[in-house]
Parts: sequence; C-alpha cells; structure tokens
Amino acid sequence: MHFSIDQWRAWAPGLEQESDWQAWSLQSSLPAASESLPDVNFLPAMQRRRLSPLARMAFSVAWPLADAHGTPLPLVFVSRHGETPRAFTLLSDVCAQAPLSPTQFSLSVHNAIIGQWSIMRGDTSEMTALAGEGDGLEHAVLEAQLLLAEGAPAVLLVIAEDTPPAAYAPWITDVPFPYAVALLLKPGQDWQLKLQACPPPENASSADTATAEWPHALNLVRALSGGVTTLEHRWRSRQWSWQQNSA
Amino acid sequence: MSDLQLEIKNLIIEALGLEDIGPDDIDADMALFGEGLGLDSVDALELGLAIQKRFGFKIDADAKDTRKHFANVASLAVFVSAQQAA
Repeated sequence: MHFSIDQWRAWAPGLEQESDWQAWSLQSSLPAASESLPDVNFLPAMQRRRLSPLARMAFSVAWPLADAHGTPLPLVFVSRHGETPRAFTLLSDVCAQAPLSPTQFSLSVHNAIIGQWSIMRGDTSEMTALAGEGDGLEHAVLEAQLLLAEGAPAVLLVIAEDTPPAAYAPWITDVPFPYAVALLLKPGQDWQLKLQACPPPENASSADTATAEWPHALNLVRALSGGVTTLEHRWRSRQWSWQQNSA
Repeated sequence: MSDLQLEIKNLIIEALGLEDIGPDDIDADMALFGEGLGLDSVDALELGLAIQKRFGFKIDADAKDTRKHFANVASLAVFVSAQQAA
C-alpha cells in the first residue's frame, strides 16, 4: 500500500518538539523516566479535567495536526494496552468491594479517547479505536489506508501507550516509557508499506514478551526525523517493510 | 461560610478534578449543574459517590428531593447535616 505522511508529531517525557526528536534520532538514548505530562492547555479546564495521561498524550500530538488540516478528519487510534491505570483502579475497587467511580468506569473503555476527541473537536467523522499486538502501528496504517481508499482526503493516525501500573510488570514489557505519535496520512506515493509472511520464531512465547529497546512507533519517528528511508519490523509471522520513495 | 460548606467545596474540586478552581470561586448559592459551575450528569454521579464516601450515608438516587439537595453548596450542606443528625 502507498500513502504520504504529510505531517507528524510525537511526545515522550522530555521529547516534545521536532528539534528534540532530531537530536534524539542522532543519539537514540532512552528518554529519562519522569512524571511529566504533555501540555493540553489549548483545552478549557472543564474539558481537560477528564483526560487521562494517555488521552493527554494522544491529544497533545494529534490536536496541532487536526488544527492544521481542519475538520472533518477521520481518526484511527491504536493502543495495545489502553487505559490500564483506569482499569487497575476499577479492579482494585471491585476487590475492596468499594463503589466504582462513574468517571473511571465510563472512560475506561478502549474507545473513550476517540469519543472525547469527537466531542471536543465537534468532529463526527468516522473514528476507530484498535488494540493491536506488537505491530499495532502497521495495522492502524492499514485501517487508515482503507479510509483513504474510500475517498477520505486525509486520515489522522494516533498511537499511544501509557506506563502500566506496577502490577502489570510481569506481562507488559514493551512500554519502557509513555509515548504518543500522530501521523497525518494522505493519499500519495511517498511511503510504501508491504506485508510478507515469514516463519514464526521457534520460541513464540519468548518472542511475544521480547523487550524491544524502544517502542516500534519510535523507530518510525527516528526514520522521519533522521531521513532514514527503510524500516523492517517483524512480529510473529508478519514481516512489515516500510520504504520511503525518493522524490 | 460554614466549615461544612468549605469541606463540600473542596470535595467537589477534588472529586471532579477542577484543577483551575479554588473554594473561593464557588459561591454557596451558585448552581452546580447546567448554568453556574457547569457540571454535568457524570459529575452528579461522581459527586453523589464522593459525598456518600466522605460522610458515610446512602443517597437514594431516585428520591424526588435528591435533585433539590444537589442544587448548590448551601443546599448540600443542609442535606448532609440533616443526614448526619438522622
């Protein structure tokens, strides 16, 4: 499939501006862990208050791209783990036989963030929330590509992960720090993404839990900020090849 | 302003995440829902839960007076006092 990445934005602790990411793409060190949250002061306080850290990250990277494009703008949101902090709080309350917070309950579902996005932007375009595996980014690109093929002039793709509560540490090993990436995708030939079947790794369970040095979405950010033109990503039996075509 | 009114104002701010608002910004007779402070139906449920937890009594969500009790901070303080005395 072919498409253009018209604009992009990314956020991780300490990495907010394009220049931050350019510097990062040269040295590629892990961002320092911190409690910092992205700035969403472009929203009124009454709207901002119900945004989780995951939602704040998603909004902070996606909002400027949507502003630049204007509405309506279809959205594909993908997160492998979603609102684990909200889910964990609710489950803890269930265990303690305490009443559940209506706010936490209503916003713990996977599509809550796109619902908030649609309300706050006043945009009723088609919006999808996906939970992919380790190659969720590529599945989201496929979904966006289908919307472009149906005639959408542009599609906003947002991938975001928040640090899960400590109790999840034995199972969630692919979120070394919170991050979000937004891509404004348009029809075009700049990028090609190909999927090929490959033999699954011999030890599938170890491959499932393998800890990448940093999340795959940030490999794409590194490519975009550093002028890298090819990217290979293997997940289980799926081999994804990204190729930027020279102008 | 009574201590109970102040406690209820702080409970509203804390339970509903009103990060830019202080207790002085909420008048005791300011409407909490719709006009005034501008809270919505999810806030109503959340605030009901917070009041029950803090003051240790059950609120009947279907009782016809519940809406009246939640009109403003002053009416909530009267309601909480009455429940605590009961």
